[in-house]
Amino acid sequence: MSTHDTGDAKKPGDRLQCVVVTPERTLFDEVVEFVALPLFDGELGILPGRAPLIGRLGYGELRTKVHGATKRYFVDGGFAQVRDDVVTVLTNRAVPAAQVDANAASKELELAQARRATTDFELAEKNKAVARARAQLRIGSAR
Amino acid sequence: MAKARAIVKRRKAVQNIRKITRTMELIATARFKKALDRATEAEAYTRKIAELVADLGSTSLDVSHPLLERREKVKNSLLLVLTSNRGLAGGYNGNVLRVATRVLHDDQTEGIATSLEVAGKRGINYFRFRGTPMDASYTHYEDRPQFDDVEKLADRYIALYINGKIDRLDVAFTRFINSARQEAVVQTLLPMSTASVAQAVASVRQAKPTGAAAPPPTRGERTPYEFLPDAKSILEEIVPVSFKVRLFKCFLDAAVSEQIARMVAMRGATENADDMIKSLTRLYNRARQAQITRELAELIGGAAALE
Repeated sequence: MSTHDTGDAKKPGDRLQCVVVTPERTLFDEVVEFVALPLFDGELGILPGRAPLIGRLGYGELRTKVHGATKRYFVDGGFAQVRDDVVTVLTNRAVPAAQVDANAASKELELAQARRATTDFELAEKNKAVARARAQLRIGSAR
Repeated sequence: MAKARAIVKRRKAVQNIRKITRTMELIATARFKKALDRATEAEAYTRKIAELVADLGSTSLDVSHPLLERREKVKNSLLLVLTSNRGLAGGYNGNVLRVATRVLHDDQTEGIATSLEVAGKRGINYFRFRGTPMDASYTHYEDRPQFDDVEKLADRYIALYINGKIDRLDVAFTRFINSARQEAVVQTLLPMSTASVAQAVASVRQAKPTGAAAPPPTRGERTPYEFLPDAKSILEEIVPVSFKVRLFKCFLDAAVSEQIARMVAMRGATENADDMIKSLTRLYNRARQAQITRELAELIGGAAALE
């Protein structure tokens, strides 16, 4: 018998705990009502009672919602794990959306696009850098 | 009086030095606490990654990633040496440099071209003095290494390895085992082994788990995860992350160990100064007493001569 969604200690489908961990520290650990994760191929919304999941993150926006207040973060790749109403986000960097610098991002985008890529590895790196800069630009400018 | 005054002067100098070493000890203690806290906070990430790998591991561990490929013949290797920017840390830098030099020597006898990269002024000065050419040197990793900085370094190493510029990456640093034991080691970070990914930085500091620690994954009952996109590609993505985290951990360990080494060295220096002050005080008292006795003897002698 699996332990998920039965919720013996807390009420099931009540609240989500969202934990954002970076290699340096635990950035964010709060109880929220809704989490939107930027997965590698698009956004994924998570409500309490979600079935267990492990996913790869792309570059994009992480949103959490508590009592109608939304918090937005830029997430720089990584992984997400959902289990027992706990959403764990493992990422290299998570920056509050308000601190994302759109100007720097557009410069980064130019640099990334100008990069020469000859091998598969370089091409993959370039695409990553472009996607990353675009995501930052999107979040930074949409304020 | 001359001798007694010289001793007083000397004692004052020792007292001043003691003040300095004592302050350095206190500073190192505070910095050590901070560095350790950082390292413990960083632990949450490695633990989570390990947990993920364990969750994924049930599916299959036969991932293929260029970083996992072991090259048949090692032709070029890279040695990164982590030392401190400041001295007065006892044997800290000496130990790291000793093991690093040994590796360099071994590589040379085996005919492996080794490029040397050094972090920390102490190491840079050492290799400059020895005339060993360095390919890169860094001084900006203070006692608070930032992940962003380390990541840049890691990305470069990954690119070097994948492009075949290097076949092996070693890091010479001081591993933090516990607050009473640190040792200088050389760790091979690339190629990574699947086992090392699985244990994802075998944690040395199992001690204080942070508050948000998830319950240990219970064996036997598996959580039926949904994998997006699929377990294998997630594992492949974890490989470089795991490498970065391991490199970052080397930096963190070195930072913590440096502070401990300095703390211990300065505590020793303070104690020695204490001993010295004590013995100097004793010498001074004796000299003063001898002088008083002599003066008394002169007085009595003078009085006796007058009679």
